[in-house]
Amino acid sequence: MKPGLWRQHVRAGLAAFEVTLRINAPDSFVLFTIVVQPLIIAIMAMWMLVERGAANALYVVVGSGMTGLWSTLLFLGGNSINWERWTGTLELMVGQPTPVAVIVFGKNAAVVFQSLLSMVASYTVAAILFRQPLSVEQPLLFAVSLLLTMVAFVSFGLVIAPLFLLSPAVQHFQNAIEFPIYMLGGFLFPIALLPGWTTPFSYLLAPFWAARALHGASTGGASLEELAFDWGMMLLLGAIYLLISGRLIERMLRKARSEATLRLE
Amino acid sequence: MRKLVLNLRLFIDGALLSYIALFRWLQPHTYLASKVVMPLAQILFFTLMGIFASGPGNAAFYAIGNAIHLASINGIYGVTMSIGGDRWSGALPYIFGTPANRLVLFSGRAFFHVLDGMLGVIMGLAWGVLLFGLDLSQADLGALALTILITTFSTSGLGLLLGCVSLVSIETMFVNNTFYFLLLAFSGANIPLTEMPGWMQSVAWALPLTRGIAASRQLIAGSTLAEVAPLLAGEFLLGGLYILLGYSLFRWFEFQAKRRGTLEAF
Amino acid sequence: MDAVEVRSLRRVYRTTIGVLRRKAKEVVAVDDISFSLRPGELFGLLGPNGAGKTTTVKMLTTLLIPTGGTALVLGKDVVHQADEIRARIGFIFGGERGLYWRLSGIDNLRYFASLYHVEPAVARKRIASLLELVGLADRGKEKVEGYSRGMMQRLHIARTLLHDPEVLFLDEPTIGLDPVGARELRQVIRDLQAEKKTILLTTHYMFEADALCQRVAVINKGKIVALDTPEALKSNVADLAVVEMEVFGVPQDVLERVRSLPFVDTVSLENVDQRQSLRVQTRRGSEAVPDLVGVLSGLRVGRVIVREPTLEDAYVRLVGGEA
Repeated sequence: MKPGLWRQHVRAGLAAFEVTLRINAPDSFVLFTIVVQPLIIAIMAMWMLVERGAANALYVVVGSGMTGLWSTLLFLGGNSINWERWTGTLELMVGQPTPVAVIVFGKNAAVVFQSLLSMVASYTVAAILFRQPLSVEQPLLFAVSLLLTMVAFVSFGLVIAPLFLLSPAVQHFQNAIEFPIYMLGGFLFPIALLPGWTTPFSYLLAPFWAARALHGASTGGASLEELAFDWGMMLLLGAIYLLISGRLIERMLRKARSEATLRLE
Repeated sequence: MRKLVLNLRLFIDGALLSYIALFRWLQPHTYLASKVVMPLAQILFFTLMGIFASGPGNAAFYAIGNAIHLASINGIYGVTMSIGGDRWSGALPYIFGTPANRLVLFSGRAFFHVLDGMLGVIMGLAWGVLLFGLDLSQADLGALALTILITTFSTSGLGLLLGCVSLVSIETMFVNNTFYFLLLAFSGANIPLTEMPGWMQSVAWALPLTRGIAASRQLIAGSTLAEVAPLLAGEFLLGGLYILLGYSLFRWFEFQAKRRGTLEAF
Repeated sequence: MDAVEVRSLRRVYRTTIGVLRRKAKEVVAVDDISFSLRPGELFGLLGPNGAGKTTTVKMLTTLLIPTGGTALVLGKDVVHQADEIRARIGFIFGGERGLYWRLSGIDNLRYFASLYHVEPAVARKRIASLLELVGLADRGKEKVEGYSRGMMQRLHIARTLLHDPEVLFLDEPTIGLDPVGARELRQVIRDLQAEKKTILLTTHYMFEADALCQRVAVINKGKIVALDTPEALKSNVADLAVVEMEVFGVPQDVLERVRSLPFVDTVSLENVDQRQSLRVQTRRGSEAVPDLVGVLSGLRVGRVIVREPTLEDAYVRLVGGEA
């Protein structure tokens, strides 16, 4: 690709990022998904886990933050393309020269960025309401883990956004898969509690490796080798997602152009 | 006599129509996702978290709490959508305008959701038995069924109240979602009431579900109907109170709307 | 090379009727049409609602994949080379959708400008001048959710010109505009054509096609029934005169009797306020009047005019008359 074109795509992606932030800011569904739900989960987990000494407050903050991250990605990132269809702008999106994948990337980056607020909210609750100690053991490693988490989530979003175009009943599916990923990802309890046959599924999910890295770096329980492995898995999965997303988006949109479903009649 | 039959017709028609309209997109895979997978996932998540916290011995506590909590899916979402649905389809002016007995109409809407809610709870308890070894052998199943009925009734009462709020606000889903999760946290479903600060316990007792969950746990542990009767009576009365509040609010909105001519603005 | 080339283009929709026993039904929206646009031409696609105009435009703008035939825009295939086309064309579909309501007019334009790879410095200037052009200069900072339908349409027009496209597809662009706004837009369209842009305009307003277009294709039920300059289309009916009678309620059987008269070519009935206008195309002109009035005997008849045919009458003849 010509360098000039690359720069234009980046600019378009940034524009999508900025526009998404602006449109989402006053939205109550966004507020619920990013702040309210993770907050209530955090409060519940504080009572259920911390008060009983099963985990420390930081574990709950990170874990409930992850639930917020996943729910955000599922409902907000996953509906990136669907949302354009619902608001009547999908035809314009498809008919313009910037690849839709670039726009979806920008949108997902925006919602993932916004969902970091989940962790901030849980952190505040833990610190103020429950007055818990909350110092991160390995801050630099935690920061790297967080960055890679965002990358992995954004690229995962690039795969689910086109897949969610397939059926009009997609929202039911989204509701159904929300909590299972909380479990398979080991966000608020170890996956050892789940039956053994689910473990391969966990390994295929970027959120699982992200949670492992973040829990490990925040509570200091992980060695550098273990963290590096987690990071490696996130990068590998992220790369795979990115690789298949381009073709997937193109195929799904082509299908929509063929079946005249770019616009809701 | 004729009036009774008429009202009955109204009740059934309204309820059936309301329910069918809401679930007209009902197909096997969407039903499966909404009524089977989602509740199951919720029960699993919180029960496993509970087991992580306090060992497998306490699984029953969480399994029961989360199963009964499922009543609020129909109670909150189903019922408020039935009310709010009027607004979106523009039928509200016509409803306000008919001489139909409004309480009958109102209750009709909730009725089918109570039935569906009970089904959901029973499925939830079945998961508890299958996956967490929940032991129902000590329970008076009839009393348990009654408890479930009363609990779904009272959550529907909350749903009716929230439904009225939805008539004037567009943030319906936000309110619904928030209450759904607040019930999960504060009704004793996952956190024993005794571990909450005093003021929070008072809030919990003012919510539906709290007594129902407490009664269910006692019944499954072997208590008799007579022993849980006070809780059941309280739950029932609370439900009635919410319905009354909801109905009054509904009438008040109607009055205001007619006075100001703003029915369409709803 | 033609700017737009359409060859045997076809689009079939499959729908299913019934809930339990699903039957597949096929609707042919566009039925083997062919036409071309020369570079810099202002071409009109004229037809009643549901004729297939919008479907055709959607295929040309790469939003819909044809079921058969081919279409080339600027020499590129609309299905296989869609990416290369998208940067060089602009399109508008009527309606309130297609804008981000929570953003202001200017922010909408800025967003689209970046998607269309317009350099920021250029975009800024162009947005200002375009808003001026469409008369939204003082409302640019307001959120689109507060715009009237006409204002949204005007913003769409500004949007479509942001990247200075070579070919424009305007699908019923003056719908939703008040008469003054519509007139201004038509002037804008003329100015754009003067800048050597190729423009495909769809409309169901005959006078609009007549006033603006160099050539007009009349489309009805998915087929092109005529393709020529407005003058040539009018000359098609030059031998006809139009007798226009003001009537007040004509029963169907009387209408049929008028239609069956040997000297009557077509009959159409149009309702304007409380009155109806019965239009009869006939070669006999004013000589036909007594006979027509005779058939309408007993019914109230108001003003009667005999006039020259317009493009509208040619159109009525082509699409088979309506009543």
